[in-house]
This record gives sequence, C-alpha cells and structure tokens, in this order.
Amino acid sequence: MKSSMVLVEFLLFPGLLFTAIAGLLTTWVDRKVTALVQMRVGPPLLQPFYDIRKLLIKETCVPEDGAVGLFLLAPLLGLAGVTLASMILWRTLLNVQATFVGDLIVLVYLLVMPALSVMLGSFASRNPLASLGGSREVKLMIAYELPLVLAILVPVIQANSIRLGDLLTAQAPIFSLSGALALLVCIACTQAKLTIVPFDMPEAETELSGGALIEYSGPPLAMFKLTRAMMLFTMPVLLVVLFFGGVVSGPGWLPAVTGFLLWFVLVAVTIVVRNTTPRVCIDQAVRFFWGPVSLVALVAVMLAWLGW
Amino acid sequence: MGIEQLTHPIMLPVILPLLAGVLSLLIPNRASGLRSSLAILTAALVLALVWPLFQQANMVQDVLPWLSLRVDTLSSFILLAVAFFGLLIAIYSIAYMKGHARHREYFTYLLWTLGMSCAAVLANDLLLLLVCWGFLALTLYLMAGISGPDAADAARKSLMVIGGTDALMLLGIVIYWQLTGSTRMDGPAIALDGPLAYTAFLTLLAAAFAKAGAVPFHTWVPGFGEKVDAPVSAFLPASLDKLLGIYLLARCVLDLFVPTPMMYGLLMLLGAVTVISAVLMALVQHDLKRLLSYHAVSQVGYMILGIGTGTALGLAGGLFHMLNNTIYKSALFLCAGVIEKETGTTDLDRLGGLAKLMPVTFLTCTVAALSISGIPPLNGFASKWMIYQGIISSGEGAGPGWIVWLAVAMLGSALTLASFVKVLHATFLCKPSPEVQQLNIRESSVSMLAPMLVLATLCVAFGVFAFQLPLDRMIFPLVQADVPGVWWAGLATVLILVSIAIGILVYMLTMRSGNLRRVRTYIGGEQMQDVYISGENKDGPRNVEITGVDFYDTIEQLPGLKRFYVLTRARIFDIYEFTRRGFNYLVQILRSLHSGVLPTYLRWFVAGLLVVVWVVTETGS
Repeated sequence: MKSSMVLVEFLLFPGLLFTAIAGLLTTWVDRKVTALVQMRVGPPLLQPFYDIRKLLIKETCVPEDGAVGLFLLAPLLGLAGVTLASMILWRTLLNVQATFVGDLIVLVYLLVMPALSVMLGSFASRNPLASLGGSREVKLMIAYELPLVLAILVPVIQANSIRLGDLLTAQAPIFSLSGALALLVCIACTQAKLTIVPFDMPEAETELSGGALIEYSGPPLAMFKLTRAMMLFTMPVLLVVLFFGGVVSGPGWLPAVTGFLLWFVLVAVTIVVRNTTPRVCIDQAVRFFWGPVSLVALVAVMLAWLGW
Repeated sequence: MGIEQLTHPIMLPVILPLLAGVLSLLIPNRASGLRSSLAILTAALVLALVWPLFQQANMVQDVLPWLSLRVDTLSSFILLAVAFFGLLIAIYSIAYMKGHARHREYFTYLLWTLGMSCAAVLANDLLLLLVCWGFLALTLYLMAGISGPDAADAARKSLMVIGGTDALMLLGIVIYWQLTGSTRMDGPAIALDGPLAYTAFLTLLAAAFAKAGAVPFHTWVPGFGEKVDAPVSAFLPASLDKLLGIYLLARCVLDLFVPTPMMYGLLMLLGAVTVISAVLMALVQHDLKRLLSYHAVSQVGYMILGIGTGTALGLAGGLFHMLNNTIYKSALFLCAGVIEKETGTTDLDRLGGLAKLMPVTFLTCTVAALSISGIPPLNGFASKWMIYQGIISSGEGAGPGWIVWLAVAMLGSALTLASFVKVLHATFLCKPSPEVQQLNIRESSVSMLAPMLVLATLCVAFGVFAFQLPLDRMIFPLVQADVPGVWWAGLATVLILVSIAIGILVYMLTMRSGNLRRVRTYIGGEQMQDVYISGENKDGPRNVEITGVDFYDTIEQLPGLKRFYVLTRARIFDIYEFTRRGFNYLVQILRSLHSGVLPTYLRWFVAGLLVVVWVVTETGS
C-alpha cells in the first residue's frame, strides 16, 4: 500500500470528503423526515451544505477567559477521529482483505474522540453552562460505553474474530436471538452517542441554551456540526457491518442495495425516536444504560456464548 | 569481598548509588547544590552502566557464593526503566527540594532506593530479593516521613502493608526452598501440584501485589499519594514500585511457577476488580494527588489482566502497559508537584484557570491524561489494545469469563477518561478560585519542566512508534512469540495530524485578521462576575462557579453504586483496617485477662504448670 494512496483515500474517498458529503446528506434526510413528521415541507437537498458554508464565512467569537488554543483545536480532534474511523470501516467494506487484527477495538476508541472533543471544547470555554453540558457528555459516555461494548462483543463471539473483515463475511448475527437483542442495545447506545433526543442533555437547548457548544460560532462550530453529521452517517454503517455482515457482503449489486436499505432503516429509526420522545435527565440516562440496557446486553452476550 | 567483585559491571549499579548515598550524608547542608549534583551524576552513571547490561542480556554472575546476580531479557529492561526514572526524578528534585530542611536525608534515601531497586531486579536468589524488598520498604517509609507529620499515618500504613506481605513472602520462600532445595531463581519452574506449591505461589503473589498496589493490598497507595511529596509519589508508587511489583509477578508466572488455568483466572479476576473499584473511587475524589493515586492502583489492574491472560500478546501488553503507566503516571505526579509548589494546594476545589498561567504544565498534563485514558495514538492505547487482544485470545477454549474482563477493562478506560477530563477542568480550565487569583503564579523552573516534557514526549513516541521502539527492543524478545497484527499507529498519527492541519488551514482561510473576536461568556445574559459578587454571601458557596469537582455526584448516587461508596468509605475493603481491627480484638481479649486479680493469675500459673508437666511426661519417655 503506497502512502500517497492512503493519503488520497483519507482525504477524498472513503475518508474526509466522502464521509462529509454523505454525513451532510444524512442530516438532510434527518431534517426532511422531521419536517414530514411535523407536516412541514423541509429544506432543499443542499441546505446542510449552505449551512456549513455560512458558518465558515461567519466571524469567530472566542470566550475572553477561555483556553483559546484548546477551544479551537478541540473540534478538529473529533473530526480527525470520525474521519479515520469511517475510513477504516469503508476500506473493509470495499475490500474485505484490508482488515487488520483488532481493528474493531481501534474503531471503538476512535469513535470516542468526537465525544472527547465536545468535552474538551466545552471545558475550554470557561462557561458554567458549557461546563455542565460537557460534564453531561462525559457521564453519558460512561453510561453507554458499557452496554455498547457488551453488545459489540456479540458479533465478535459469534464470528470468533475481532477483525472487521471476518465479521463482515461471517453469518449475519441478526438472524440469532442474541444478535437481535444486541442490535437493539446498539441502537439505544447510538442514539446517546450521537447525543440526539432523548439523550441530547449535553446541549439541552431549553435549559443550558446549547450547553457544551454555547460559546462556539463560525468555523469551529462548523467543524462540530460536520463531525456530528459524519457520526450520524458512520454509526449506522458500523451497525450494518456488525449485525448484517453476511447479508451485505459479497459480489453483485444485491448486497450493496440491501446494505443501503438497512442503513436507511437504521437512520430512520434514529430520526423517528428523536421526533417522538422527550429529553430525559442525565441521571435517568445513566440509570437506563447501566440498568436495563446493560442487562439486555449481558443476556445477549450469554446467549451468544451459548450459541443462540 | 575483593575489589574485583565489587567493581564487576553487574555490581556497579548497586554499589555506586549506595556509596553515593553514604557520601551525600557527609555533605553539609550548606553545600546542598553539591549534593544534588552528586545525586544526578550517580543516577546518570547508573543509567550509563545499565545500558551495556541491557544490550547484552542473559548473564548469571555469582559475584560471591551467597550473592548471585542475573541479567536476562526481563530484568534488563526493568533495570533500564528503573535507572531512567531514577535520573528523571533526581533532576526534578533539585528544584523541588531546594532549601528543604531535610534535603540531606531525601537525596540519601533516593540514592539508596535506586541502588536497592537495581539489586532487587538483579537478584538471582529469592532471599536476596527479600532483603532488598525489606530495605525498600524501609526507604519508602523514610522518604514518606520527609513530607512531615501529616504523612506519618500514611507512611506507617504503607510500611505495615508492605512489611506484612514481606513476612508472607518469607513463608513462600521457605516453602519454595522446601520444594526445590534451592532459593535460586534460575532453576526450573515448579508445577502447582499441591497445597504447598499453591501457598508459595500465592504468598509471593501477595508481595508483588502489595508492592504494585493491587487489590486487595492497594490500600496504602491513596493515602501515601495524597500526603507525601509529589516527587516521592512519582518515584515510588508511580514508577519504581510498579516496576518491581510487576517484575516479581512476571517472574512468578514465567520462571518460578507454572500457573494453572485457575490461577490465571484468579489473576484476571483480581485485575478486573482492581481496575473498576479503584477508578470508581478516583471519580469522586477532591484531591488531585489522591485521585492520581487511585488511578495508580487502577492501572495495575490492566497489567495484571494482561499477564493473567497467559498469552504471549497479553503478557507483552501487560509489561508494555507497566512501562507506559510509569511514564504517564510519573508525569502526572510531577505535574501535581509543580502545581502544589506554585499554588500551595492540590485540592481541586481551590485550583482552576492554570491553563494560561502554566501552559507547559497544562500541555504535559493533557498529554499524560489522554494517554492514561487510552486515546489513540498515545502509548496508553497501544498497550491497552494489546491487553484487549490478549484477553480475547485467552478466551479460546476457556469459559466466558473473558467477555466480562474485556467489558470491565473497556469500561474502566471510559471511567478513566471521565476522571481525567474532570482533572483538566478543575485544575486548568475552569475559572480560577479566589485563592489562585490572589497568587502570582508563574510557570515552574526548567529543571522541573524538563523531566515532565521528556515523559510527555515518551507518551507520544511510545504510542506512535510502539512497535519500532519499546516493543521490538524490550518486550518482544521477552515473550518470544510471534505477535499477530500490528496496528498502524504511525500512519494513523500522520492522518490525524493531516486532518488537524487541514482544519487549521480552514481556520486560517476563514478567520481573516480581525475576525477572531474575544467576547464575554454568555450565561443566560448574566455577567458571571456580577452574579458572583452580588451573591448573598461572598464567602459562601459559589453559586455560578463550576469547578467540576462534583461532576460525578450523580454517579455516586446511583442505587447500586451508593452502597459501594458507603462501604469503601467505611474502609470495609481495606485489608489493613481489617487486620488492625482483628488485632485490636485480640488485644482486647488479652487485656481482659490482665485483670490484676492475683488469685486469677495464680490459677493460670497452676493450669500452665499442669500443661507443661503433661507435655514433658507424655513426650519425654
């Protein structure tokens, strides 16, 4: 593998450019569906791109007491993390041989970086509301991380491998009871990982007026918005890879179309949940994830271990 | 002992610091500069002497009939690490201890600890190891005593815990000698095939755990770290004791015994418990140094987990994690030392806003904090990744335990991150506390910052070049196994840097000069300062300030965890407290016998006499 090729892959396809465009289109789907639910018309297809461009030409305000360096650097960390994660994921999707041992662990850790960037960025703002939002982001992370890891282990146990390529070609876990349960857990955790309703308490427009992102404006805000759009696109892709492996891999157009439809369904579930539930409190969320969700995840792991 | 034995290359790293320690005792306090130079010179010399030993590896040298030393792949790399940290701490200590009333003792103990640690790692005889172990417990106690009367309790506790396990270790050594007929460590490993062998294994394990600070012998670490001066904590619980404890553990598992799967299971259980219980305690701490100490305990859990997998990859990961932990943990303690030196406190409630005042410390602390939380591509991630792999591969053909260990280890990592973002917030990023605002805080001196920067650089280097630098040269020769797969940390780093560069480019293109406007923070339209002053009670609780210290009180209030915290605070899990109470109970019984009533004493005498007579007549014939 030539290093120049890697750079092209990273910057254009399937890395930054591709994930950014796909992510922004996903947010358009989100906004359109939301609009339909609320009986509005919704924005045109390119609206997310206009929004990002507008933010890029806007003035940047930085808090006068904050740690400005970290404040500006933090959004880039998350962007780097999600880009790298998406690239690893898509390289495997496009070529099963591109996988390497333990890439799933790397992926899980890279997908923590967007959350970390929100924490650091909000703390660097030196704003009490941002600090509260950031602390909620942290608590949310430790809450969903436990069931998420357990649920991700279900496909690993079934395929007896920790390589994405092997998971992709193995029998799809969704056709087993344990796989179905684990997918449910993962959907709940995804909702929290994307910090969208009912788990949007780090931002909580109504109580913290933007919380973690309250001080952000202009290009740094654009970076955060872009990161979140890319996460909205990447997380369902990861779930498709993990739980529908055998279905979406293979030659021909059928697996690709199936994969796209499954991805779309997962995105739609996220959007519908977001439009039909109220925000919960942070302690409720922690209790929810460490309680019933972890329990279901544990049961799923046990079942997977028994071969169900 | 002839001079040629003393000057044998393998003896010098031991002898030199011991002699230099004696010499430093003779230097008057007026010439304290001379003393610190002597310490640095000696430490540097030890490092230089250890390097050729590391290069050649594998040598057994019977310096004297009773003094057998040995260098092999395991001890040589630990020896190198010991010497390296000795030098760094010595450099840091110059400025930290300057003008300290007990300057003389500090550097003497530092040098003796260095020499004795080298001896402990080199020892090829369990009895020699025990002697070094005992001596190190003593210097640990003495070094803690330097921090003043506050630390006395913590010092005593650590001496009791470590001394107690030393006694256990002696028992283990006797049994080992009984089983093999020798106390030399280069003999064949013995199988765990009976209660005696198990006892020997477990007692040696206890000594290793107490030294490294793992559950259930961890309880001396938090108090020690909180009360004792930061360089001492960075030197002992954070680096040397970890190296030695894990060294002994690895020796036991690799060379002295052949552990059974059940023992591996026990190791992994204790490792997992250590990870999670210590990090949960760390989450809710209010003192920076105490918080760091809990993490010092928690991280040992990962090492034990790695070694407990019994796989080559897990073992390599565990040892690599030991090395990485010593790097970032001492960096963090040194940061705490700088902060304490400047602000006079490590209470997280009374810090804040140091990011601007101490930018280098902030940078070092952030790198180390991200590293300990396992953020790729730093070194903490590299070793954790290997440990996870080891855990997964240990699951083949075994029970479902590995799933639990893996989940616990990964959750522990998330909790560590949570705990350290709290540290960064409360220390560096939030609004400075009134105390900090009154002080004239500057960045510390170069001699204190340099060791911290070296460690932060190592955090990055050992993560990015994990397979080129430390693993290839130090750790893979040790496990002698083909380790499958390499995560391309170097490439990932380049890509992360590229994307950050692109981001900065975007910033530069979009933020033309004048476009970056500094504004007051928006808090619902209120001015933070106004609310602060117009509060009913100026000195009372600050209603708008958020220090971040109590971020995780919601976690503490969770139904299941509440009980854990209550019990831990009541020291239910503290083995030291446990033993102390047990002894107290015994003492109460004995005391009640000493009633002062003479007829009762007389009855005891007669009863005792009868027993003696009975024993003599029954066995004498």
